[in-house]
Amino acid sequence: MTLISTRPGPGAARPYRFPKVLRRGVAGGQLIAAHLPGQSLAVALLLLDAGAGREPQGREGLGAVLAKALEEGTAQRDATAYALAIEALGTELVAGLDWDSFQVSVQVPVDRLPAAVELLAEAVRTPRLEPDDVRRVRDDEATAQRMDWANPGPRADAALRADLFGAENRWGRPLYGDPETVAALEVEDVRIFHSEWFLRPGTLVVVGDLERLDLDALAATAFAGTGGGAVDRGGPVEVTPRDGRTIILVDRPGSVQSTLRLGHPSPHRAHPDHVPMRLAGTVLGGAFTSRLNHLIREVRGYTYGIRGDFVSSRRFGRFAVSSGVQTAVTAPALVEAVGEITRTQQTGVTEPELAVARSWLAGQLSVELQTPRAIAAALTTLVVHDLPDDYHARLRAALLAAEVEEVSAAAAAHLHPEGLTLVVEGDAALIRAELAATGLGEVVTSTR
Amino acid sequence: MPDSGFPWPIETTRLDNGLRVVVSEDRTAPAVAVNLWYDIGSRHEPEGQTGFAHLFEHLMFEGSTNVAKTEHMKLVQGCGGSLNATTNPDRTNYFETVPAEHLELTLWLEADRMGGLVPALTQETLDNQRDVVKNERRQRYENVPYGDAWLRLLPLLYPPGHPYHHATIGSMADLNAADLPTFQAFHTAYYAPNNAVLTVVGDTSAVEVFALAEKYFGAIPSRPEIPAAPAGQHVSGTGVATTETVITEVPAPRVYVAHRTHPFGTAGYDVTSVLATVLGSGRGSRLYQRLADGERIAQPDLVGAYGVDLAYAPAPLIATATARPGVPAERLAAGLGEVVDELATVPVTAAELDRAKALLSTAWWRQMSTVEGRADTLGRYATQFGDPRRAAERLPAWLAVTAEQIAAVAAEVLAPADRVTLTYLPEESS
Repeated sequence: MTLISTRPGPGAARPYRFPKVLRRGVAGGQLIAAHLPGQSLAVALLLLDAGAGREPQGREGLGAVLAKALEEGTAQRDATAYALAIEALGTELVAGLDWDSFQVSVQVPVDRLPAAVELLAEAVRTPRLEPDDVRRVRDDEATAQRMDWANPGPRADAALRADLFGAENRWGRPLYGDPETVAALEVEDVRIFHSEWFLRPGTLVVVGDLERLDLDALAATAFAGTGGGAVDRGGPVEVTPRDGRTIILVDRPGSVQSTLRLGHPSPHRAHPDHVPMRLAGTVLGGAFTSRLNHLIREVRGYTYGIRGDFVSSRRFGRFAVSSGVQTAVTAPALVEAVGEITRTQQTGVTEPELAVARSWLAGQLSVELQTPRAIAAALTTLVVHDLPDDYHARLRAALLAAEVEEVSAAAAAHLHPEGLTLVVEGDAALIRAELAATGLGEVVTSTR
Repeated sequence: MPDSGFPWPIETTRLDNGLRVVVSEDRTAPAVAVNLWYDIGSRHEPEGQTGFAHLFEHLMFEGSTNVAKTEHMKLVQGCGGSLNATTNPDRTNYFETVPAEHLELTLWLEADRMGGLVPALTQETLDNQRDVVKNERRQRYENVPYGDAWLRLLPLLYPPGHPYHHATIGSMADLNAADLPTFQAFHTAYYAPNNAVLTVVGDTSAVEVFALAEKYFGAIPSRPEIPAAPAGQHVSGTGVATTETVITEVPAPRVYVAHRTHPFGTAGYDVTSVLATVLGSGRGSRLYQRLADGERIAQPDLVGAYGVDLAYAPAPLIATATARPGVPAERLAAGLGEVVDELATVPVTAAELDRAKALLSTAWWRQMSTVEGRADTLGRYATQFGDPRRAAERLPAWLAVTAEQIAAVAAEVLAPADRVTLTYLPEESS
């Protein structure tokens, strides 16, 4: 048999193109749209300045409960009639939030988008929020969270976040709250949050075959009956990494794996080092071939996967590594992961590794931005972070131009191996002594 | 009703060694999807070798004659591509989506691991990936509440010796016992060009792909005899309902109700797909309306029903619900069974049918909205039904299903005597 041994080089590169972006003010709100000719599906997404960062202290989970309460009946119809009406169009109402925004969207064949946007607006602007319904949704959400928190991960995530940012701050508590904070919410909390943040117009994102859509009509539907202007969103939060590492042990008796969450604070989204930092994170832990996955999975076989990255929102950011490793190798896996973070901080990245990282991230801008939903998500990034229409083309150029020196400098400046919080969720009786013996930091037991 | 669920061109050829090649040109985005379906799944695994097809999928990323260990991932990600592979009872698929100028590299990589894996396979690699897969088993099935439901349902649905009796992840004992020569023989037996379909969708042409396929795959010899999986089309029901109760560390009682229906690709399964959507997809579904909203005995986020699209035996339909606090498992199981029973006795209304078809249409077009979604679909139809063009039939077939057909299929395959019920109970309530 003759296999061809010479690896082929690339063919002629295609020019990069992001769909043309259209923006304008309509009916008191903002509209942003992208044209995907010939696409059968269209997406409409209403973006509100009502992210978790807007939730009052001690009311974590408010947005998550409101997201579900929106579908419990509107001024025009009850919950069952609403479900049948929207699903008859072929879509479900998708509502969710992150730190910076609340998003509600529909995805339907393009000719059904006007009807779907009407139903979207009806749920967002005129939900009934009957007290009994809100209480039931709250109780269901608390139950759903208890179910989720029975899985490995959420408790470790919460312990990490609290240690990084301080549980006295909203951003030091879980994005969706926890079962206890949700259970403690009152009907009035939900109604007030809605009236404060859901009756402002916001931004309507539309992606699809625009030749078949009347954008102004869609925007008029989405913004009908709204008022109020933008509200100051607050500046970046200064957070310093801890002085010396700590190991936080979250007990999970009988666990056959240990869940690892390692992290420290990092800069907010608009920081000038955003691109080199992201590349450094990719070399260390962002791709399958990254240093962490190579060593911990491909060489040692300790895990099914391990990844690490810098993630940032408008006001804060964090570097974190996450994995699940077999219980018996918890300590060596932890030591080796910290070792790779330290090595990357001290000696930076190499050109071959950076070459993979930069062309991977650049290429993903072509490969991953195909669907209406993906393009809609890209447009929300432009809106939330005040970025220009040609941002994706500029980002691509910046990724491809990044040099070893600046990426290594970003690793040196923004990785803090000595200030890591090391959260381990596993069978404490089996791993506590080994963890203490690593000398990586004092072992404290989480009360969660 | 659309005439076709696949309004893009499809061109096909077959190399002399038996490799089938499918191309669908679409210049909308500067990307191409490359997809290989190998007709080898866990249904082919003999007793004592469970989990082999899936472990093999891992080994395919660990180097071949001209590709060093870890280089496969590095080259694909290093050109901006996305890649992965999956194994299920029916087949193993491998896929990459890359910027269009890297099509040739991707085909070279796939050809090298089809024709040149065995010489590169070492004991060290096998041991490493065996550990990775055992960790995958812990992470996905053992360390999460209800994680082993699928592993428990399969042997209840399919008798010993049936190709779907065991789960794809396999048993720890079989994985531990795997030795290098067995794996080398496994590749030689199944990873042959005449047991595979190569599909390319996106910014390229059939002429270009056919030439590249010939260049890179053309010299790989075909294998005259590829071992067939055991037959499984006919599963005789016992006529007695099967129940299993697991008392373990779970946060709330949960019930699964499962039935054998019809094989994917048959008219009966098209009806089952619409039926499953009526039953358990969305807030307008019968299960949600009855158990989550009406009686309020089920948690709203965790109620649903779906068919598992398996093609070589009556495929499973699974309905599930998790109890609201204070609701006993027996009441939940009774409610779930009742709603399933009513599919045969309470006619599906026009509104229910329209809702289900609208949701299925959107789901279909969502799958078609990416080049990789289209490539995997074409590969499936070429492998399982001998012609990728048959992909176009699925959506119109769903849209043609009637309420009478749903009642008839429900009466035929959802009888209580053919039911499998799996119940999880929290430890403290025992």
